[in-house]
Amino acid sequence: MWKIAVGFLVFAALALWMLSKGGDIDMGGEKHDVSPPAVEKAPEKTPEKAPGK
Amino acid sequence: MSTATARFDSGVNAAPRPMSAEEKKVIFASSLGTIFEWYDFYLFGVMAAIIGANFFTALPPATRDIFTLLAFAAGFAVRPLGALVFGRLGDLVGRKYTFLVTILIMGFSTFLVTFLPSYSSWGIAAPIVLIALRLLQGLALGGEYGGAATYVAEHAPHGKRGAYTSWIQTTATVGLMLALMVILATRTTLGEKDFADWGWRIPYAFSGVLLVISVWIRLQLSESPAFEKMKSEGKTSKAPLSESFGQWKNGKVVLLALLGLTAGQAVVWYTGQFYSLFFLTAFLKVDPATANILIAVSLILGTPFFIIFGSLSDKIGRKPIIMAGCAIAALTFFPLFNALTTYANPKLQAAIHKSPITVVSPAADCNLILNLTGTKVFTSACDLSRVFLSNSGVNYDKVDGPAGSVATVKVGEKSVVGYDAKSPTAKDDKVRFEKEVREVLTAAGYPAKADPIPALSSNWIMIVLILTLMVIYVTMVYGPIAAMLVEMFPTRIRYTSMSLPYHIGNGWFGGFLPAISFSIVAAQGNIYSGLWYPIIIAGMTFVIGMLFVKETKDIDIYAED
Repeated sequence: MWKIAVGFLVFAALALWMLSKGGDIDMGGEKHDVSPPAVEKAPEKTPEKAPGK
Repeated sequence: MSTATARFDSGVNAAPRPMSAEEKKVIFASSLGTIFEWYDFYLFGVMAAIIGANFFTALPPATRDIFTLLAFAAGFAVRPLGALVFGRLGDLVGRKYTFLVTILIMGFSTFLVTFLPSYSSWGIAAPIVLIALRLLQGLALGGEYGGAATYVAEHAPHGKRGAYTSWIQTTATVGLMLALMVILATRTTLGEKDFADWGWRIPYAFSGVLLVISVWIRLQLSESPAFEKMKSEGKTSKAPLSESFGQWKNGKVVLLALLGLTAGQAVVWYTGQFYSLFFLTAFLKVDPATANILIAVSLILGTPFFIIFGSLSDKIGRKPIIMAGCAIAALTFFPLFNALTTYANPKLQAAIHKSPITVVSPAADCNLILNLTGTKVFTSACDLSRVFLSNSGVNYDKVDGPAGSVATVKVGEKSVVGYDAKSPTAKDDKVRFEKEVREVLTAAGYPAKADPIPALSSNWIMIVLILTLMVIYVTMVYGPIAAMLVEMFPTRIRYTSMSLPYHIGNGWFGGFLPAISFSIVAAQGNIYSGLWYPIIIAGMTFVIGMLFVKETKDIDIYAED
């Protein structure tokens, strides 16, 4: 058990360190809308989209 | 260990003993493979923006909407379908070979994305192939969880199933963290430009390595002793689907597993892990990088509780822990999310109390803002005003205005007239509207962004504590649930019967949560009102579970073999 605990601590520390270095990443889990943000801001596309899954 | 001995050792009368080397291998191999499956599945979500730019940007909006629907289907329709297809296979030919097939499908459909040309090279064929691979991923994921949980449970001794299967319950969180780490490592090493151009393919290529490891490990495993014995005696089900769902005796247990267990478990999970992140960034305007760290810290602190509650369920029962998780979550979500606002964006909380906002609009102009599939667009002035205000994280009241008038946003004495997206001047109107609303909100004390939250400051610590508490709720409902689902069904149809309620519960009740909760927020004009959805569903599960779901920890899962 102690090996798993140590492994998890190393994994967790590494994850936090990496997030602190470049943490601007989508952690929202599953996504289904294939439109990238740039598309929604396209000039011809004025209507708003509420979040969808 | 022979099959007969293993089966005997797993029985109700077996004496307590430490975990054997074989059992450790079973848990490790099953959990590792499931981690890799979640890794593969989450890559698409974490890199949605880049994938969208490479495969879907150039498509006309209508075509893009079709692909969005198909991607949506991968999560919500194909996962339950995979549960049926592979559940049936698992009950017919065996657990080992079935979840070997699921990992091969998942691994190859992910790995192939590495070499998939983008839209600029292949045209429409590129997004078609990508979506086809995504659908295969959904199919494989639908078969994986039930297989891993069943396989581990059928190797676990009586009285230890909760502890053993709880390792499977950690895999979704660890798989997400692994995906984030590989993506961040690649992006940091290559730089933003190269990552966006071609580097995003590396995490997909890495899945090939994970595939080889997990297939190699799973090939070392032997078939589940319970299934092997049943097969040798010719007692396996000939028609698992009709036995599982076509006979009321078992069908009602499937329904109870869905409504009395997995539905509530799913909304508590999605609220604690995903909606809290959405709430922090979209409503409270916390910087996304800070919010990610806050969520990651709480996930790391909370993850060991999967094992703790899984093990505890072997002693005090699965039902009390899961039901307590649902009840406590339903009772405390409102105060906890209120407390998040207090510590993450106190200025917003003050402004909400000091300067109420009103949207005045004809009732006929205001529609249900529900965007389940992500393809719906809103065009009326009322809808656009409410979506904008909700996205701005502000509360508002809706007041009926005279018929034919245009929706107006009122903040104190100031008013901003809305716009209709079908108007010829919609583009300019939108810019004007959003600018004016932002100005009046700022003047009324509504912050455009939350103040920075320094790491380890008192507010930071309080937010981590609140989030960790919600992750602990997740572990209460999720840690013991694999064991409970396994114990609800006989060996001959276990894989089929437990997979479907799990994936419908999580895919539908959980997966629809963001869209439904946002819809309620926009309709009610209150950033907390979206919590009614998880509260009602968790409450429903609590009531149904308490009344109709029986405790299973002492059940001999081989009694009906």
